[in-house]
Amino acid sequence: MGVMKEHFKERNTRDYHQKRLFTKEELEERESLCVHEQSPFCSAACPMKLDVRDFVRRMAAKDFTGARAMLERISPFPEILAHGCSHPCEAACRMGEAGESIAIADLERVAMFLGAPKKGKGLLKFKKKKRAAVFGGELFTLVVAAQLADKSYPVEFYVEAGDAESLLKQCAPFLSEEILASAVRRLQSMDMKIFYGTDLSSAFVEEKRGAFDLLCAAGYLAKESPDADTLLGKDGILYPSEEGGECLRTFYDARRASVSADRLAQGLDPSTMRGEEGTVTSRLYTNMGQVEPSKRIPLRGEGEAYDGEKAAEEAVRCIQCVCEECLKGCTYLRHFAKHPRILTREIYNNTGIIMGDHMMNKAMNSCSLCGQCAVTCPNGYDMGEICRLARENMVDTGKMSLAVHEFALQDMLFSNTEGFLSCVPKGQEQGCRYVFFPGCQAGAVASEAVLRAYRDLAGRLDGGVALMLGCCGAIAKWAGRRELLNEQKDFLRQEFGKLGSPVILAACPTCRKTLEEEGLGQVKSLWETLLEIGLPEGSACHEEKVVLHDACGARNDQKMRQDVREIAGRLGFRLLPAEWEGEKTSCCGYGGLVAYANREMAAEMAEDCRKEFPDAPYITYCMACRDRLARQGAQSMHLLELLYECPAGTPPDISEKRRNRLLLRETILREFGGGDDMSPAGNGCASPEEMGFRAVITEEARRQMDDRMILDTDVWKVMGHYRDTGEAVLDQRTGLLIARLRIGNVTFWVKFTEDGAGYIIRGAYSHRMLVRTR
Amino acid sequence: MAETKSYYTIETDGTLLCQKCKVPLEKADAVFSYLENAFPVELPVCPKCGFVYVPEELALGKVLSVEKVLEDK
Repeated sequence: MGVMKEHFKERNTRDYHQKRLFTKEELEERESLCVHEQSPFCSAACPMKLDVRDFVRRMAAKDFTGARAMLERISPFPEILAHGCSHPCEAACRMGEAGESIAIADLERVAMFLGAPKKGKGLLKFKKKKRAAVFGGELFTLVVAAQLADKSYPVEFYVEAGDAESLLKQCAPFLSEEILASAVRRLQSMDMKIFYGTDLSSAFVEEKRGAFDLLCAAGYLAKESPDADTLLGKDGILYPSEEGGECLRTFYDARRASVSADRLAQGLDPSTMRGEEGTVTSRLYTNMGQVEPSKRIPLRGEGEAYDGEKAAEEAVRCIQCVCEECLKGCTYLRHFAKHPRILTREIYNNTGIIMGDHMMNKAMNSCSLCGQCAVTCPNGYDMGEICRLARENMVDTGKMSLAVHEFALQDMLFSNTEGFLSCVPKGQEQGCRYVFFPGCQAGAVASEAVLRAYRDLAGRLDGGVALMLGCCGAIAKWAGRRELLNEQKDFLRQEFGKLGSPVILAACPTCRKTLEEEGLGQVKSLWETLLEIGLPEGSACHEEKVVLHDACGARNDQKMRQDVREIAGRLGFRLLPAEWEGEKTSCCGYGGLVAYANREMAAEMAEDCRKEFPDAPYITYCMACRDRLARQGAQSMHLLELLYECPAGTPPDISEKRRNRLLLRETILREFGGGDDMSPAGNGCASPEEMGFRAVITEEARRQMDDRMILDTDVWKVMGHYRDTGEAVLDQRTGLLIARLRIGNVTFWVKFTEDGAGYIIRGAYSHRMLVRTR
Repeated sequence: MAETKSYYTIETDGTLLCQKCKVPLEKADAVFSYLENAFPVELPVCPKCGFVYVPEELALGKVLSVEKVLEDK
C-alpha cells in the first residue's frame, strides 16, 4: 500500500488545469429539474404577468398600498382591469383543490379601494420625437393611448364620444358610478390630447395618418385582421386581435400593441425580440399534502367588497405556492439558503475558476452526499451527486486542497494498513463461505460488540466465516479521490480473492452500498443473515419507546430498513414514528466527510436529526450515526451493542478510535489467528512506553486534541523528537515547555511540563504552513 | 521581493528561552510558506540553533486564516 503516500502531496496553487464539470447541455438538464423558480400557477395563468402570489402576500400583510401599486404597474387603468378581468388566476389557484381558490378578483378590487394612489408623476420625462395617433373609442384604443402617453410619445386620441365620462362608459360599461368617476379622473390626468366628438371614418384616418409615426385604431375601423403576434395590420396600423374582445384579452392586446409601437418607433421589426409574452405553463411543484382545506371568507353581500380585515383574512388563506421540498429535510441546503439550481450553477462556476478564490469550496464540501434531496425532490434533483462530481473534478484538476480531507484519508490509510486485518480462523484455511466486514467505525466505537458478533457468526454459520477489518473505500469516494478509491478497490479485491471471494457480510449500510456499487463481491447485510439464523441467544427484551434513526447508506435499501425494524421489534422496542425516516432519512453529519470539511455543519446535522424527539433514546444500525448522535448529547445505541449486550458507553475520541481498532485487531488475532499473514500491527502507533519514555495527557489537553484533530500518536512522536534532540522553547511566564515536529504536511506543537515521572502533556496545536529562518 | 517587508512581527521580551541552548529567543527574520507561496515574517528565533517558535495564538489565528485563503486559491 506504499503508493498511497503519493496522494498526500500538497498541491501547488499556481499549477492546475481545466476540465469541464458538465457540458452546457448537461448543466442545463440538471438545473432544469429544480422548479423552485417556476412561476406560481396563478401568475403563470395571467397574461398581464401580475405576480399574483406576491400581490396576495401583500394583501395578507395589509400592505394595501403596495398591492395597489402592483396593479398600477401592469396597466394604466387598474380599476377597469380589476373589475373587468375574468381572473384565470382563480381557476389556476391550487387552493381550488383544498376547499376554494383564493378570491383574487375581490382582493384586487378592494386593493384599488384601500390602497393609496401613486403619488406624483415620477421622474421628469422628455417627450419622444415619434408621434402617435389613436383612432376610435373602445377599451383597446383607450389602453393603448394611455400606454403610449405613459411611454412619453406625444399622443393624439380621436374619439366619437362627447366627453371623458361617455368615452369610459363606452369602453367599460361594467363599472359602477363610483369607479367610473375615478377612471375619469385618471384619464383626465393623462398627458395626451383627446379630440372628443370626432366623426371617425376610414377616410379621416387616411387624411390624418401622414402626420404621425405610430398609428392605432379600434377594431371596428379594421378592414382585415392584424398579425396575430404583433397586432400590426397590413395598412401599418395597430388593431386589437378581435373586435369587442373580453376585458383581459383586450388589456393583453393593448400591451402587445404598445410593444410593437416601441419596435416600430425604433425602426425595428416588431416581430423580433419581444421577450416572453402571455401565459406560461408552470412546472412548479406544490405539496398539497399538509394543506388545511378552507373556504373563502364570504363577502357581506352580492356586489359588496371586503373590508381591510376580511381582505387580509382571505389573503392569509393563500399557501404561497413554492417548492422547497429539498430544503425541508436538509440542514445543508437550509444553511446555505440556496436552491439546488442556483447552488449547482455556483458550484459549476467554482470548478471553472482558473486563478482566483474558489468561494464555493466550502459549500461543495459541506454536503453529506446522503441522497436525501434525490428522494424528497419531486423531480429527483441529486445535489449530493453534483457535489461529489465537483469534488472529483477539483481533485482531477489539482484545485482541491488536501487539508480539507487529509485527516479522513489518513484514517482510511490507517484502516487499510496498520489497522487492517484479514483473518481466517484456524482450521478454515481451505476457504470460508463468508467474510464478516464490520466497517471502520464499528471497530472504533464498539469493538467488543464486533468481537462478540464475530464469535457468534463463526459459531453459528456453516461453511466458515473469515473476518476483515478495513475501509470499504467510501472515504476516498466521498473525498472525490478516484485514483485512491481505485487503489483501495484493487487492494480489497485482492484480499477478498485470497479468501476465495466469500460472501461479504456487511454490518455497515455504507460499506454494503459501497462494496456493492464498486463491484467488490457478493454483499449481504449482517441483519438479513441474523434474521435467517435467528438473533443471538439471550438478547434482552427492551420495552422502551425509541427512535430508529435510518442510515443514509440504507436510503435505497428497503430490505435492510425492514430487516432492522424486524430486529428492533424482536428486541422489544417500540418505534416512535419520525418524520424523516426510511428513505427520507437525514444524515447524521458523517456522510460526505462533512465532519472534516465543516464541523459546525456536521454538528448542526446531528442536532437536526434529534430535533423531533430531543429526549428519546435512539437506536441505529450505522456506527457513525450512533457516534455522532451520542456526541451531540443523544442517548444512542447501535443494534450490535443491543444484540450482543455490550453498551460501548460514551463516544471515544479520535485517538481512542484508532486504539480500539488496534486492540480489536490484536484480540482477534490472538483468539482466531494463526497464519503467516497475521503480522502484528506496524510501529506507527507506538505508545510512549514502547518509545522508551513515560507521558500522560491531561483531560483538558485530550479535549483540545480531539477538537483539533491531533492524535496522541502525533504527540508521542513530538515527544520522542524532543527526547532525542532536546529542542523546545521554555515559556518562562507559564513554565511550559513547547516542542514541535513536522509530520507529513503538518507541524505539531506540544505544550508540556516535565517531572521525574515523565512528561505531562498540557496542550497541543498544529499548522500546515512551513516555517524557517531566512 | 524587498527583504525589508514583513507581513507579521512578534516582539520578544526575553521570557522565551531555547531549552536546548539556554539562551533567550530573539526577534529574527523567518518565512512562512504554504502551497508554493511564501511570506516573510519576524518571529522569536533562537540565535544559536535557529529554532523558530510559532505561538499558539499565531498558529490558530493568522496562520490558520491565511492557510484557508490559500487552500481556496
